[in-house]
Amino acid sequence: MAEEIAVHTGLNAEQIAKEFKEHSVAEFFKKNRQMLGLTGKIKTLTTIVHEYVTNSLDACEESEILPDIEVKIMELGEEYYEIAIKDNGPGLTKETMGKALGQLLAGTKFHRMMQMRGQQGIGAAGCTMLSLVTTGKPVQVISGTSKGHTFMAEMTIDSKKNEPKIIKIEEIKRDFKGLAIKAKFKEVKYQKSEQGPLEYLRRTAIANPHAKIIFIDPWGEKTVFERTSKKIPRKPMAVKPHPKGSTVDEILTMARSTSARKIASFLKTDFDRMGDKAIEEITKNVSFDMNKDPKKLSWEEAEDIIKNFKKMTFIAPSLEGLRPIGEERIRSSVQSIVQPEFLSVLTRKATVYRGGFAFQVEAAIGYGGMAGRGSGEKDEQTGGEIKRIEIMRFANRVPLLFDTGGCALTKAVQSLDWKRYGIKDLNNAPLSVFIHMLSVHIPYTGAGKQAVSDEDEVMEELRLALMQSARQIWRFVAGKRKQEEKEKKRKLFLKYATEVAIAVHKLTGKKKEDIEKKLQNVVLKKLKLEEKLEKEAENGNEEEKPKKKAKKVDK
Amino acid sequence: MSGIKGKTVESKDKEVIKRLNGLGKEIYDQIAAGKEPGMELPVRTLGNIYFDKKSKTIKLGDKKSRREFLNVAHARKFMQTMLVASEIKHIIDEKATTSIRDLYYALKHTIEGTNENTFEEQSESDPLIEDIEAGLELLREELHLAASSKGVIVGNMKIKDGKDTIDLTKMGSGGWGIPSNVEPERIQIKDLSADYILFIEKDAVWKRFNEDQFWKNHKCIIITGRGQPSRAERRFVQRLNKEFGLPVYALMDADPWGMYIYSVIKQGSISLSYSEEKLATPQTKYLGLTVHDVEEFKIPKEVTIKLNALDVKRLNEMKKYEWFRTKEWQDEFALMKEKAVKLELEALSKKGIRFITETYLPQKIKSKDFLP
Repeated sequence: MAEEIAVHTGLNAEQIAKEFKEHSVAEFFKKNRQMLGLTGKIKTLTTIVHEYVTNSLDACEESEILPDIEVKIMELGEEYYEIAIKDNGPGLTKETMGKALGQLLAGTKFHRMMQMRGQQGIGAAGCTMLSLVTTGKPVQVISGTSKGHTFMAEMTIDSKKNEPKIIKIEEIKRDFKGLAIKAKFKEVKYQKSEQGPLEYLRRTAIANPHAKIIFIDPWGEKTVFERTSKKIPRKPMAVKPHPKGSTVDEILTMARSTSARKIASFLKTDFDRMGDKAIEEITKNVSFDMNKDPKKLSWEEAEDIIKNFKKMTFIAPSLEGLRPIGEERIRSSVQSIVQPEFLSVLTRKATVYRGGFAFQVEAAIGYGGMAGRGSGEKDEQTGGEIKRIEIMRFANRVPLLFDTGGCALTKAVQSLDWKRYGIKDLNNAPLSVFIHMLSVHIPYTGAGKQAVSDEDEVMEELRLALMQSARQIWRFVAGKRKQEEKEKKRKLFLKYATEVAIAVHKLTGKKKEDIEKKLQNVVLKKLKLEEKLEKEAENGNEEEKPKKKAKKVDK
Repeated sequence: MSGIKGKTVESKDKEVIKRLNGLGKEIYDQIAAGKEPGMELPVRTLGNIYFDKKSKTIKLGDKKSRREFLNVAHARKFMQTMLVASEIKHIIDEKATTSIRDLYYALKHTIEGTNENTFEEQSESDPLIEDIEAGLELLREELHLAASSKGVIVGNMKIKDGKDTIDLTKMGSGGWGIPSNVEPERIQIKDLSADYILFIEKDAVWKRFNEDQFWKNHKCIIITGRGQPSRAERRFVQRLNKEFGLPVYALMDADPWGMYIYSVIKQGSISLSYSEEKLATPQTKYLGLTVHDVEEFKIPKEVTIKLNALDVKRLNEMKKYEWFRTKEWQDEFALMKEKAVKLELEALSKKGIRFITETYLPQKIKSKDFLP
């Protein structure tokens, strides 16, 4: 969270810590609520669910457990809800519980260059804080680490000291493994909308096929998202920051906590792809002593280093730290949860943006069936519901539900010339588009971490992924249309065949049934021949066409 | 030329049935051989007609097109054509004569297992009858089909229609309705005493001429087709012209549509080009109205009508028709275009109710101021 605040306020971690000491945490919290992504009653509730679910998923992944997560939301009064979350993870000890749920900023590791789900603003301790400031009530926790060792606690935050405040804690006799939290919130609102908790969990389930997620809404309606993969994702690897992706603030913060004693060795050991030659070049070009203590690095000197980084060339960062969901797993989860008639899935190769950040894109497009967002309007022709496009955005496996318009993922979907892929009216097509960007550093546009900025390289990759998937959709749609047309043709000929047979019978006196049968045979023979010619033409075309590289951007 | 020559009604019917059966057999043989069924039909469009200088009528060229069952664009028409052929055979077998509207209703039904009708409108079956006429080289009358006729005629002559003899001087204000079949074996013309035939475009004008007993005073026969004449009126006028040598004068609105109707009476129409030798009367002359008349007869400007865009388009098309390529017609078209006006027959009433019958027409005939 400190990292977050630093980014948005321009303060560095030290200054924030100082501020925390000087003012009460509660005050800071209240003052900065918008910045912490706690604006809007619906969004706040979704954010709370996100913080808890993310913690559960991360904890399970860490302990290599297949997560079973249950979220229950109960309405206690007007804009007053209780959220209960239960997982089968490793649970918390009495000590870790205090830090995890009762201390803001605890456990945040600065500058971990790692593909993380990440908080969207406040973390689980922030939820405790929000519960306190809106209801004055503590949070209830039950944690079981192994058989018999289960405890129950009621706790909150001492908002002046930013310390956990345990109200009650006791061992209970219950065979429970995992963590269960119950917390009350006011000034929030549950809504069954595209930005509500249910949709958030549905998409979380899609991006985490190894998790089983159960949701019970305020009316008691239960939704179960089944696990579709039994493979726990491998842990992403932490990587050192790449010089091309570094900022002044980052270098300064790292310099404060490094164990290196000289700036030269600090740069060499704490940054990726930094060789002796690079150090030599920087030494030559900067005006300060590279042998001095990194802790004494000034803002201007750090700026100088960044300036040099920009001019120099480095080997691209390692792509090994990234952990895509993978085509097979996306396929099975989207198929199970979205249930489209046709699905194309694609995981692109990892690449780099801004020269310094590894990232990767995954896309899936579901067409027909249950794909798309219901419009509530009836289709006059088919009698079914008219479907609109649904764009499901993800960053590091986390669904992005807000700031839709300003997000590169949305823009990439809209920038495609969909007519070329057989989709005449994108907004009113039965499409579910899954688009996932994963990176050690997602270039969010702002505080809420809800939109990705449109970096050139990112846009390019997003578009290529979508185009490749869309091409498969086009083949499917075209094939389907062709099939429908063929069927129409067959029906047309056969329907008239009877009438023709009657007329020929009247003119010739030959048996009507005999004529009709022979005519039907002629029809079927003709259609078969057409199909054969079509196939030959298709094969012929494919052989003729040289394989084009997908490099060219359409439109 | 189409049609079956000089035979009795019975032998004619036999020949027609033979040709219809021939079509059926042709289709059957293709089906039985596992081939895609289709039929050759003459193309009845502007592109396949020509003006025959010898007969001075429009004639059908020899371009043919194939109507195929297994072509999505043709399938319905193919089916309908076969139905029309089989129904005509049925009508002849029954020794009946029906109207083309009867035929349409006889064939209209819902196709089994669908909600589609074999025919939706009579405009679907009418052209197929013409296809069969042209394709099998038969006349409408030989198919025992009658187009609804709407024309009326009066004049000094008698008509023998079956057992009835009708005196066309005693038809009151309505006139004698021309039947759809006016072939000699059905209708005979007797005691004719007239100098010419006046073919009037509009019914209202014809009524004025009848009320004024113009036919009696000027020794002529007056006929109207009430707009575009059907084939019975044209056939009947042709007979009067051929059998009695009567000249025919057309009295039309001075607009592209009236002038085109005149050309149909004189040379024939595009869609019936295959039987125009039996329908057209090349000796017909255009008496009026013309735009030239406006000055000639000092017709007040306020009763003229401005040409609209459609008129101009039609005028430009007609200018190119071979049968209008005479100096007189080109001059008339040029003047119409230049003045950009047209004129209705009724407009002459501005000069007095009987101006048209007492002044305009006699003067025109006297001065022989016709367009060819």
